[in-house]
Amino acid sequence: MSTYRPPPPISTMLMRGLFEENPVFRLALSLCPAVAVTTSLKNGLMLGVAVLIVQVLSSMSGSLVKHIINPKIRIPVFTIIIAIWVSAMDMILAAYYATVYQEVGLYVKLIVAFAIIISRMELFSMKHNVVPSFWDGLGMGLGFLAAMILAGSFRELLGSGSIFGIAVVPFKPLLLVVLPAGGFFTIGLIMAMFNWVDLKRGHKLPSTTSGCHG
Amino acid sequence: MSKTLEQAPPNQREMLIIAAGLTVVCLVAAMILGGLYFITQPAKEHNVQLREQSMIRGLLDLTPQAKILEVRRYLRSEGRDLQVIYLTTKSLVTMDLNGNELATHVVPDDIATSNSSEMKDDWVFKQIKAPSAGQIKYAGRFFVGVEGTRRAGYVVEGITAGYKNWIRFFMAIDSAYGIRGVEIIEHEEDPGLGAEITQRYFKNQFAGRSLADIERITVTKDPLPDDWLKALETLGDMPFQPWLEKYRAMLPKNPNIHAITGSTISSAAVTNGVKRALANFRKRMNLVEKYL
Repeated sequence: MSTYRPPPPISTMLMRGLFEENPVFRLALSLCPAVAVTTSLKNGLMLGVAVLIVQVLSSMSGSLVKHIINPKIRIPVFTIIIAIWVSAMDMILAAYYATVYQEVGLYVKLIVAFAIIISRMELFSMKHNVVPSFWDGLGMGLGFLAAMILAGSFRELLGSGSIFGIAVVPFKPLLLVVLPAGGFFTIGLIMAMFNWVDLKRGHKLPSTTSGCHG
Repeated sequence: MSKTLEQAPPNQREMLIIAAGLTVVCLVAAMILGGLYFITQPAKEHNVQLREQSMIRGLLDLTPQAKILEVRRYLRSEGRDLQVIYLTTKSLVTMDLNGNELATHVVPDDIATSNSSEMKDDWVFKQIKAPSAGQIKYAGRFFVGVEGTRRAGYVVEGITAGYKNWIRFFMAIDSAYGIRGVEIIEHEEDPGLGAEITQRYFKNQFAGRSLADIERITVTKDPLPDDWLKALETLGDMPFQPWLEKYRAMLPKNPNIHAITGSTISSAAVTNGVKRALANFRKRMNLVEKYL
């Protein structure tokens, strides 16, 4: 890449993933698995942590190999890198952390299909070195984790009347919220909230084309 | 970014380099994953086996000294002829479909005590293939829990078509073909919906049912009564026999399986799987009983 730009400060890279470029609520990436899994807080949390780890590892590996691969085949190479990390995590967890694997095995396998990971590699790791890539991956992973926690707790509370499997709501819960349609409603509502807060703070609504790097 | 997107189509030389590069990347990836698989696979298999063994012990309330004997079942087809083969810890028996014995081999000790299913299958294939090259397939297994000299019960591995993929389960059975409990080993149902089949309030609904109960059991969409839910949640904290004594009166009041809200298909899949597995096990046990 000839157009080298110095990386932004660490705080910007971290906060960008959490708020202004939140993968789920801002970039609307990886919505499908996000909707499928956030039926409870625990599920959301597990998937969020798994994505965080794969995102950081993939972002770093992407920036390591960026000089030795032909830019024309960068997308397949990135896909392979993600697949290696996901499979490696899957195998290592299954072999040495059997109890953890029983809980998270299902989510680890889902991550291969995550658009957010490959988009960060393409948009950030291709242009920056390993250390800034680490922070960017961490920020994006944390943003995804926060989104999963938010959506998961909202859906579990309203749909099953519990938090972390412990019943807290004494009345009959609203089943629709745990069903797939309810997942889209939930994400839509939180997205609307993000936009509303943004408007209050004097920003313009985000344009329909995803707004990363102009 | 725009720069990489507006490239001219590559010429022949460049295409070759790209193809070679991708091949190298794939080879490296395959080597990393293959190596990792080679290192982690034994540990993974060991974990799966430990989990199964502890599930069987839990389902039958076995003491740590109790032995678990495995019986594997194979199907062999030769043209139109279908034969059933059972591998117990004592003998390898070939039968026709009516249960008439066709051939018997003695099982050597190292195969009988082996924990590796791969080793057992290889041995069986070698023994059976000898006369002619018929097709032979592994077709299921069950376990016999032996406490000293007494048979403590059986655990049957069942398989049933779930919402998206197969559901594998263990089902513990007593000597009268009543069900002691059901445990889901492997499934891919949706978390929060079909995945609830692994929860006590669903899987424990099968415990304590007799053969006759299971034969006419169906799935109901009625809500689970609160007292029955509380009773179901305690099985697992307390062993099966005392649990049955305490709550036996509640079984006739709840004659059917209450479906999980929003997951009637998964609930019915497990129920039908249990019914089928029990009926099949009863037939098969009659045939294989004397070879155990």
